[in-house]
Amino acid sequence: MPGNAHVYIVDDDAAVRDSLSVLLDACGYQVRTFGLAQEFLDAASALPPGCLIADIRMPEMDGLELQRRLKERSLSFPTIVITGHGDVPLAVRAMKAGALDFIEKPYASQAILNSVAAALLRLRAPDERDPSAVAATAKLDLLSPREREVLEGLLAGLPNKSIAYDLAISPRTVEIHRARVMDKMGARSLSELVRFALAAGVRTK
Amino acid sequence: MATQYARERGGGQSDSLYRAVVDTAVDAIVIIDRAGEVRSVNQATERLFGYTPGELVGHNVNMLMPEPYAAEHDSYLANYLRTGAKKIIGIGREVAGRRKDGSVFPMELSVGEARDGDEPIFVGIIRDITERKVAEAALRESELRWRSILDTVPDAIIVIDAHGAVESFSPAAERLFGYAAGEVVGNNVKMLMPSPYREAHDDYLARFASTGERRIIGIGRIVVGRRKDGGTFPMQLAVGEFASPSGNFFTGFVRDLTERQVSERRIEDLQTELLHASRLSVMGQMASTMAHELNQPLTAVTNYLEAGRHLMSTGAAAPERIADLMEKAVTQAQRAGEVIRQLRQFVSKGETERRTQNLNQLVEEALALALIGARQSGVLVSLELDRELPPVLVDPVQIQQVVLNLVRNAVEAMEEVERRELTISTRPVGEKIETSVADSGPGIAPELANRLFQPFVTTKKTGMGLGLSICREIIEAHHGHLTFSPRPGGGTIFLLTLPKTSQDEPTDAG
Repeated sequence: MPGNAHVYIVDDDAAVRDSLSVLLDACGYQVRTFGLAQEFLDAASALPPGCLIADIRMPEMDGLELQRRLKERSLSFPTIVITGHGDVPLAVRAMKAGALDFIEKPYASQAILNSVAAALLRLRAPDERDPSAVAATAKLDLLSPREREVLEGLLAGLPNKSIAYDLAISPRTVEIHRARVMDKMGARSLSELVRFALAAGVRTK
Repeated sequence: MATQYARERGGGQSDSLYRAVVDTAVDAIVIIDRAGEVRSVNQATERLFGYTPGELVGHNVNMLMPEPYAAEHDSYLANYLRTGAKKIIGIGREVAGRRKDGSVFPMELSVGEARDGDEPIFVGIIRDITERKVAEAALRESELRWRSILDTVPDAIIVIDAHGAVESFSPAAERLFGYAAGEVVGNNVKMLMPSPYREAHDDYLARFASTGERRIIGIGRIVVGRRKDGGTFPMQLAVGEFASPSGNFFTGFVRDLTERQVSERRIEDLQTELLHASRLSVMGQMASTMAHELNQPLTAVTNYLEAGRHLMSTGAAAPERIADLMEKAVTQAQRAGEVIRQLRQFVSKGETERRTQNLNQLVEEALALALIGARQSGVLVSLELDRELPPVLVDPVQIQQVVLNLVRNAVEAMEEVERRELTISTRPVGEKIETSVADSGPGIAPELANRLFQPFVTTKKTGMGLGLSICREIIEAHHGHLTFSPRPGGGTIFLLTLPKTSQDEPTDAG
């Protein structure tokens, strides 16, 4: 395990912050926690390179704003955003703003550990494109026009019902298309699909 | 006139009495001879026609008539004297009179025949019916106006007699129910109702007739109607009552709640009125907040426990370290429990107000409300409500929320199937009252069955998975149970059980 790999946690909920820190610490990461985005921002330039885990919904400065400010200062931290239920549109925005992954709360510990590992890998080889994302570009061509439309709807953060309405098809049909899109793109989760699709250059509506 | 007459007859006490009577009469009295010449008139004649007695006596009575009566009168008289054929004498007729100023007015004329010595004389009594005619015309106009209103109002209007026979059926009712008025008028109004209302309606009428107990008159309710094609629909019914000499009648005003013309605003008004929409949305927001509030401690619990497991698997951690993590996890689990407790408190105590209620009525209204907009989905609804159900002590709004929720779920579950049958029934079972909502949908997947009432578990594409868990909370707070089972032949039955007798509020809802 990466004894000198740094992980920074920004979350306004003390219990979530502390527990995640304990978990990552138990897994051998060097962890530092911040209760406010501003605190992390203030400390960021002096911090060793590491992975940032930020809650997307926080008072004062949210995860998206934090990403923007970091970019402004040319500070680069591979970022994972944590979202609550039904925050897909926010998550997509975070991904477009450069976040590597988003994870929906409540999450399985393994999901966040995998994501952190991937982010730290990225830190070591920043210019290397995510291999599964590269593959996704090729897979994109496998999608039918209708599947492509459904994918774009998903990237816009729309629920199935809205996509169905926009495309004048039944929600059931959208669900079938959605499953095919996931299969064809080789994505195991919505966040992976969003990541692949963005990497493959799919534009959202 | 009378004075003159008296003078001619030679005077006397009987004459002055006669004169007083004649002059007191409100009606005009004109006496003519066989030639049609006026012999005498009373004071009312003077008032009515505007002639003085001197201008009339000795002149032909046809001066009091407009054409063509004036020209024809002499020959009428001659004809009568020759043939004895009575056209007016002893009969009375509505004719026209003519005043001195030339104006014409409607009058009722009755004529009697008498003898003055050998000569026949005729007594005409004349009543001005101008006012009555005006009133009649006004009445006719009013009736026409009402008819045109009744024919154009969007509400269907149905008038029935005390026995339920339909007296009138408006064009809007024809459109709404699909029957022509001719098919309905004269028949019992229950033909417009689905079971069990159909069977119960005569009893309602009979009970009202004997006890005067009002269940719907002057109150208005949401009930279910039945079209000619057998389809059912939710409708708002207001009933008025009126007594006429020929008996009591009831007027029903029916508004189709599924009708597209019914604007969204009206439906919203109605829902707000019943507090459903507002409460449900409060509930929805509440649920969303709760989801977030629960996510935090649950995430923390997972993290602490995972960390603990990790440390234990390496064998490097001190037991105190592990114990510390366990302690933290417990604290967070308790925090989640606190959130749940608050939710339960909100649901079961918050604004709850228990009242003695007729469960059938709650079910009917919730059903009608739930079916708004479901008309196109072709759901066949049957109600099997036990009419002898004892009352229950419940928060009506909460119970309606539950029923509404179950019905909506049922309708949604049947979206993808051909046969859409929704059966809702109530029945007393021992010390409890059972309400069941059965659908013919695909049923509940076995892997979900054990977790269906848990929060965040849903079978829907877009759902929070909180509806059923809240429903169960509500029912359990009422000391009842909410369970489900497969429906024989396909589908699901949700069974809601409430205690028959009232119980005290629990001292501790947690």
